[in-house]
Amino acid sequence: MLPFVRRLSKPELMTHLISARDLRASYGAKVALNGVSFDIEEGTSFALLGPNGAGKTTLINILCTLQRPDSGGIVIAGHDALRYPRRARRNIGVVFQTSSVDDRLTARENLEFHGLVHGLPRRKREARIRQVLELVALEEWEDDVVRSFSGGMRRRLEIARALMHEPKILFLDEPTVGLDAQTRQQIWYYLDRLRREWSLTVLTTTHYIEEVEDADVVCIIDHGSIIAQGSPAGLKKQHGRRWHQIDTIDRAVRQLILERFAGAQPLGVSSVVVPEESFDARALKSPEFEGKILEIRQREPTLESVFLSLTGRELRDRADPGRIGNGRGGERR
Amino acid sequence: MSEMAVLARGVYGVWLREIMRATRDRGQLIGGVSRPLIWLLILGVGLNPYFRGEVYGQVNYVIPFTYLQFLFPAVIVLNIMYTSIQFAVSVIWDREFGFLREVLVSPLPRSLILLGKVLGGATVATMHGVLVLLLARFADVNMSVQQIVTAIGLMFVLSFGLTSFGILLAARVRSFEGFGVFSNTLILPLYFTSSSVFPLDPSLSRTQAVMSYPEWLVFLVRANPITYAVDALRGVLINFNQLPPHIGLAVIAGMCVVFFVAALVDFNRS
Repeated sequence: MLPFVRRLSKPELMTHLISARDLRASYGAKVALNGVSFDIEEGTSFALLGPNGAGKTTLINILCTLQRPDSGGIVIAGHDALRYPRRARRNIGVVFQTSSVDDRLTARENLEFHGLVHGLPRRKREARIRQVLELVALEEWEDDVVRSFSGGMRRRLEIARALMHEPKILFLDEPTVGLDAQTRQQIWYYLDRLRREWSLTVLTTTHYIEEVEDADVVCIIDHGSIIAQGSPAGLKKQHGRRWHQIDTIDRAVRQLILERFAGAQPLGVSSVVVPEESFDARALKSPEFEGKILEIRQREPTLESVFLSLTGRELRDRADPGRIGNGRGGERR
Repeated sequence: MSEMAVLARGVYGVWLREIMRATRDRGQLIGGVSRPLIWLLILGVGLNPYFRGEVYGQVNYVIPFTYLQFLFPAVIVLNIMYTSIQFAVSVIWDREFGFLREVLVSPLPRSLILLGKVLGGATVATMHGVLVLLLARFADVNMSVQQIVTAIGLMFVLSFGLTSFGILLAARVRSFEGFGVFSNTLILPLYFTSSSVFPLDPSLSRTQAVMSYPEWLVFLVRANPITYAVDALRGVLINFNQLPPHIGLAVIAGMCVVFFVAALVDFNRS
C-alpha cells in the first residue's frame, strides 16, 4: 500500500457512487493531476471537459484502476478502489480512447470474451450479448470479424462490450474522437438512449465542447486541476457572458454603437455585439438610432465562452467550428 | 455463483481467445507444418545414410537408430520452441493495440490473466508438436498409445515453460521487429546446441567427449536446458537417452516454475 493513500471514512464511502479526493499524479517532473476532487451521484452524466493534455486520460486511468495515483483516494460504488481494485472493477465499464477490441475475432466473440473474463455464466452471457448488440444496433454484424468494421461500428461495439457485465458506471474516454460528424452524432444518440433506458451513471471526457451541453454536471479541467464544476446552465450563469447582438443598417451606425457601449465588438459587416453589463435598451431607442437598427437579439452564454473566460484560452480542437461560430454564437473573433 | 467458478471462467476466456486466434492464423499453421517437413525431409533424409558413426572406417560410436529416428524428437522440440517463443508476439500485439487494457480493467487478477495466456500459448505449441507426431510413421518411429500420451504430457510442460520464457522476453522487447530478430538468434542456437542434430556419446566422460568435440561445444550442449528436453523426449519416443532419464523431466519442470514465476513478477510490475 502507498503511504500517502488516505483511508476513507464510512460516510465518504456511502454517499456518492464515485468520490475522488485530492488525486495527484505526475510523470517525472511533469504534474498530470494536481489535487483533483469530485463526487458523482448515481444516475447522472458527468462530463470532464478540457484541452488535450489537461490530465483527462490520466484521471480516467486512475478511476478505472489501471494506474495508481501518487496520493489521494477514490471510492467507487462503496468500494475503496485503491485498496480493493477488483471490487471496484466489477462496477465499472470502460470505453478507451483508442480501440481495444480484438479485430481478429467477431463481434460476438469479443463480447463472449468479455463476459467470460467477468465470470458471467453461459445463459447470462447469451442474454446480455443479445441485449447489448441490440442497443448499439449491431445484431446484423454479430458474426463478422471486427477487422471489417468501420470506426463508428468499432466504437459502438466497445460501448456494447463495456456494458456486458451490467456495470453501474460507464467511463468513456473521448468516445467520439477521430470519428466524422455523422458518426459522432450516432454515438451520442446511443449514449443518450443508454442513459434514458438503463439509467446508468456515465462519466465522459471530451474536448468537443458542444458534446457536453446535455450533461448533468460539467467539470472543466485544465493543467491537472478542476477549475469549474456545475450544471451547464449553472456554469453559464456563473461564468458566461450574455451578449446582445444588434444588426444595423450600415457601418456608420455600427461605429456609433461601438463607441457608445463599453466592451462592444463588431460582428460581420454591419452587426455588433454588446455585453449584458453595458447594454442599455433605452439608449437604443433614442432618435439618433431611429430606423437604423434592424434587429436586436439576445445571445445566451455558451460553454465555449465559459471556458474562454475561465482559462483565457479557447479549446484548440473543436468538433465543428462552423456550427459554434455561427449557430450558437457567444464567442467573438 | 462461486468465486472459483468466476475465476475459472476468466482463465478459460483468456485461454479460448488464444486458441481461436491461433487456429485462424494461417501463417502460423503453415509454419507449424512446413518447418518439420523441411527438417525431416531434407536434413533428415539427406543425412540418414551418413549416420553410422564411422569415420574413415573406424567405428567410434554407434547408436542403434537411423538419423531420421534420432532427429525426430528434436524436430518436435524445435516446432514447440518456435511456436512458444513466437507466441509472445501476441503479448506485444495486445499491448500495442490496447487489448491488454480491456483485460486489465476486468476483475480477473493479473496472475490469472497471465496463467490463461500461458496455458493458451502452451496448448497451441503442444498442438504444433503433435503435428510433428503425425509424421512418426514416415520417420520410422513406432509408438504405443502410452508413449504418445507421455510424450504429449512432456511436450505440454515444455511448451508451458518456453511460453513463459517468451513472455519474459517480450516484456523486454517493445517492437515486433525487434522480437523477430531476438527469437531467431535465440531459437536456432539453442536448438543446434541441444544435441538435436548430432549425438553425444553417453558412455564417454566429459574429458573423453572433449576429445571428439571442441570443449566449448561440449560445454554449450551440457549447459543448454533444451538438451535435457530433447533427451527426455527421445527417451519416451525411441527409448534412447544420452543422459540420465530423470534429469530431463526435472529440468523441464524447473524451467516451467522458474520462467512462469519470473514472468508473473514482471507482469505484475508492468
